[in-house]
Amino acid sequence: MDVGSPLKGMATVASEFEKLYPDTRIEFTEAPVGQREYLVTQLAAEQAPEILNVNVEDVWQDVQKGWYVPLDSYLEQPNPFIPKGELGSKQWWDQFKYQAISRGKAAPDKKMYCITYDMVETGIFYNKNIFKRLGLEEPKDWPDFLAIQQKLKDAHLIPLLVGKESIADWGMDVTFDQLYGEIIAGIDLTEDANRAASMPHYLDWDEIAFLFNKGFFTKRDPRFVETFRLLKAWRSYWPKNLSTEMMKMFVSQQGAMMWDGSWAVNRLTRDPDLAFEWGVFYLPAIPKSFNRYADGHPQNVIGGSGTQLEVTNSAYDDTHDPKTSVKLKRAIALLQYMTLPKNTTLVVNEVLAFLPNIVGAEPHKELLPFHNILQRRTAPTKWLYTFDLRFNEIYRRMLDLYLNNGLSESEFLDWMETNLRTASETVVKRKGIDLSALESKWAAKAKLRETMTGFPSEK
Amino acid sequence: MRHRRAQFGLHFLLISILALTLMPFVFVINNSLRTSSEMDHSFFGLPKAAVSGVKFTASKVTAGTETFEVPASNDRDAKLERLGYGDAMKRIFTQLAQGYAYAWEVLRPYMLNTIFVCGVTVVGVVLVGSVSAYVFSLCQFKGRKVLFMAVLAFMMIPGVLTLVPSFLWVKKLGLLNSHWVLILPYIAGGQIFAIFLFKSFFDGLPGEMFESARMDGAGHFKLYWGLVMPLSKSVIAVVAIVNILGTWNNFLWPFITNSDAKYHVVSSGLYLMGRSNVSANYGTMFAAYVLASIPLLVLFLYATKPFMSGVTSGAFKA
Amino acid sequence: MLLPTFALLAVFSLVPFLWAFSTSFYDYEVGGESKFVGGANYLEYLRDPTLVSSFGNLLFLIVFHIIIVMTAPLLIAKFIFSLRSERARYIYRVLFLIPIVVPGVASLMIWQGLIYGDTGFLNELLRLAGREDLTRGWLTDPRTVIWAIVFIGFPFAGGINILIYYAGLTGISESVHEAAELDGAKGMLKFLRIDVPLVMSQIKLLTIMTVIGTVQGFEGMFILTKGGPGFKTMVPGLWMYMNAFSFQRMGYACAIGVILFLIILGLTVLNMRYFRSSEELKAEAN
Repeated sequence: MDVGSPLKGMATVASEFEKLYPDTRIEFTEAPVGQREYLVTQLAAEQAPEILNVNVEDVWQDVQKGWYVPLDSYLEQPNPFIPKGELGSKQWWDQFKYQAISRGKAAPDKKMYCITYDMVETGIFYNKNIFKRLGLEEPKDWPDFLAIQQKLKDAHLIPLLVGKESIADWGMDVTFDQLYGEIIAGIDLTEDANRAASMPHYLDWDEIAFLFNKGFFTKRDPRFVETFRLLKAWRSYWPKNLSTEMMKMFVSQQGAMMWDGSWAVNRLTRDPDLAFEWGVFYLPAIPKSFNRYADGHPQNVIGGSGTQLEVTNSAYDDTHDPKTSVKLKRAIALLQYMTLPKNTTLVVNEVLAFLPNIVGAEPHKELLPFHNILQRRTAPTKWLYTFDLRFNEIYRRMLDLYLNNGLSESEFLDWMETNLRTASETVVKRKGIDLSALESKWAAKAKLRETMTGFPSEK
Repeated sequence: MRHRRAQFGLHFLLISILALTLMPFVFVINNSLRTSSEMDHSFFGLPKAAVSGVKFTASKVTAGTETFEVPASNDRDAKLERLGYGDAMKRIFTQLAQGYAYAWEVLRPYMLNTIFVCGVTVVGVVLVGSVSAYVFSLCQFKGRKVLFMAVLAFMMIPGVLTLVPSFLWVKKLGLLNSHWVLILPYIAGGQIFAIFLFKSFFDGLPGEMFESARMDGAGHFKLYWGLVMPLSKSVIAVVAIVNILGTWNNFLWPFITNSDAKYHVVSSGLYLMGRSNVSANYGTMFAAYVLASIPLLVLFLYATKPFMSGVTSGAFKA
Repeated sequence: MLLPTFALLAVFSLVPFLWAFSTSFYDYEVGGESKFVGGANYLEYLRDPTLVSSFGNLLFLIVFHIIIVMTAPLLIAKFIFSLRSERARYIYRVLFLIPIVVPGVASLMIWQGLIYGDTGFLNELLRLAGREDLTRGWLTDPRTVIWAIVFIGFPFAGGINILIYYAGLTGISESVHEAAELDGAKGMLKFLRIDVPLVMSQIKLLTIMTVIGTVQGFEGMFILTKGGPGFKTMVPGLWMYMNAFSFQRMGYACAIGVILFLIILGLTVLNMRYFRSSEELKAEAN
């Protein structure tokens, strides 16, 4: 069996597990980050590691091929390593701390393919020394946030360091959430009980495809147009080069704020040459007075994980049947063993970057601001993971060009429209889903929508 | 006088071009001795460990015996430690060598694999290539030209086009996770250019030489082994070096076919390092680049002369 | 005796190529189902959003690379060749070979970080000169990216091309030069009239290799820009790769690959036919 990288904590847990099951040997392979050609070839050849540590959203692309084992049935059973009466002795699921986000990791086919072992979240890191020098404070709302950035810019600093990937991913999703908050209840057609708690009104690909055919997410949709205008206006406060090495600019105090994830804490606390204090806050809400499509609800979070463990088809290559495979049972057992609170602490807390997602395993104190941020709800879309990778590729590239003045707004929206059309057609064809089934649900919400405004105009 | 000035001008020009060409490598060597946080704070600058030596991060990762303690996030210096001047000076050497020690620890087994694979491949390519080139050049038979063109046409197939089919195919042949999965396709691909080079060289050999040898009753084997090959030492050097360079640099194929770390080669090892957590530690990465270049540098020290005379023997033309 | 050559080619090149060729007529996803679609993949490529920009970029790269390979190493070879001291000539030739020992991937990464990086050599140099306003992300700015790509390796002096030209130059006998001098040819004119025609066969070979390498190669773009920003540095080879591995559209990727193969074949034939080498020139003169 193989898991991510051979950390000390993980190595300890693995060797204890090997002692429990002397017939088991655990090996670790460095699977290079984001290398699809590696995964695709290895999985197609049924020789991938039994357990993978990959972003589950990347796995969704391939679930219909039977490359991954759905874990729902195991999660609903007790974790055998937990003593009776403790959390997890009834259902493995109960052990997970950030329930809503963890359950939100279900694939579009509603099945759960991963164990969400820990959490990461994004936040705005800021340089307290610079803030103090310029008399600035953490922003209360969006206009305030922009005013701070303007003052930083006037002081010849880069106001906000942000990566272009983050904008296509986090930036788009939170801005969309802010501007669709008023009408989301009227356009969310399939409600998913599993996700309701943290991701109310999550829009899946079929809903997006359906809404697209109704004129949403096109030039005719004022909220969609406004989403990108808002990002574009914000862009003037980011570095000239969006691929900049953010951390370099932040530690050398050329940038005053940085939108990054909890993993950046690790780097910042260890820098011996760091000459300033830093803090973290989350994006402030956009009030109606600033944008007429906003409703001023608190900004939602992205909700991500650093370690998501999936079980692959290699795990049952002993019998080629998941029902009878001993090896698969052992792989699941390893995951269950890893999620014991003491083991989780050992593994996750070794690095100052992740927050344990197991009840009873406490995060490092430096990460507590992110624990607070994680109490927020999660944004209702994941544009980057909704469709196929071709959609992503074109969307990310064109957004980047648009933000950097390589495309006009109208050209960009045309690209988006073509891209969305191809993507929704492909996804409908590939998964063989009938969009007309959503028509009645759409009609059912007509009354609700009458109370709302700001929908796409007629052609 | 005019000549002297012209010569001086030429030297000046060549040295400037050379300086520009080699400049990036100077940066690499310098930066291989610096830590990530040093590089974050300034781009230019000498290795701090060598210059000051007052502040230090404790190196958690040294060339240990079993595993490497590499935190999954980015940097491997997990704890901060401040040392007195004396202790710091003692650490200087270790600190300077730290990136190298780690990079070497990772690359060493890959290095041996690479040398083995390169060695067998190059012998195969030279043998197969020269025999075929001999046939194409010195034997008269029908369809010779067409066959030769057919061989050359294989050079035009884009490598990635056949990546997946080749992978599934060698899997079917049961070659995955072995040295042969590299060696055989490398010989198959590498021989083409070798045939081309050998043939141009053989074509240039004086025909009378063969005539007289044949008069003496020499067969094809004797001609090939006794006459042609000894004359071809310099071309062999060229073929060998061009081939080794190609093999040494190829990363995608070994990376995909040999998932077992036992069979990793330097290029895929470097690539893995670049994609893994180590990459955030630039110093180690740079050290790895330097280390990965050394075997070829050594090879060049020994092979430069025949290589140059080979290239200058005029095989490189169309 | 040709058996080993053809056996190896058949097993490791022909079989995968035929597989790829036939796959280009299928809608095939690795690990998924495959469906015969006829020429649909080829037709779709005609409407591909990257088609125009990627072939435009490819053409630009081919032209630029050909110009470079025909000039920089040839001039340097000529400079070295013009030195009086035998030893100096040798030493320069060795020194110019050094860059080839550095793995290709490594030298790309070196350029990306050390030269073009935000705090890389170019930007830091501009900052030292007080021209902060001119700094930029050389590989991310849509206006500079393609130039940043082609200037990697500047001054294009490393490698064996110099030696190849040098070899051609040594083949030119003294008497030719003396005769030219008597004709009154000097300097640049002499270089163009005497030297260049005589290294024509080297130029021809290097041109062919450059074209093949450029059409097939996308390593630089893959590591440095992924073909971006937008599709500003996209090339067909990289798009084929992305379709095969990122989008898992194997059939479509194979169709692009087959098209590239045909293009390379066509260009090579053209090159062979219309580009006269020195031997052919000599033969014609007689």
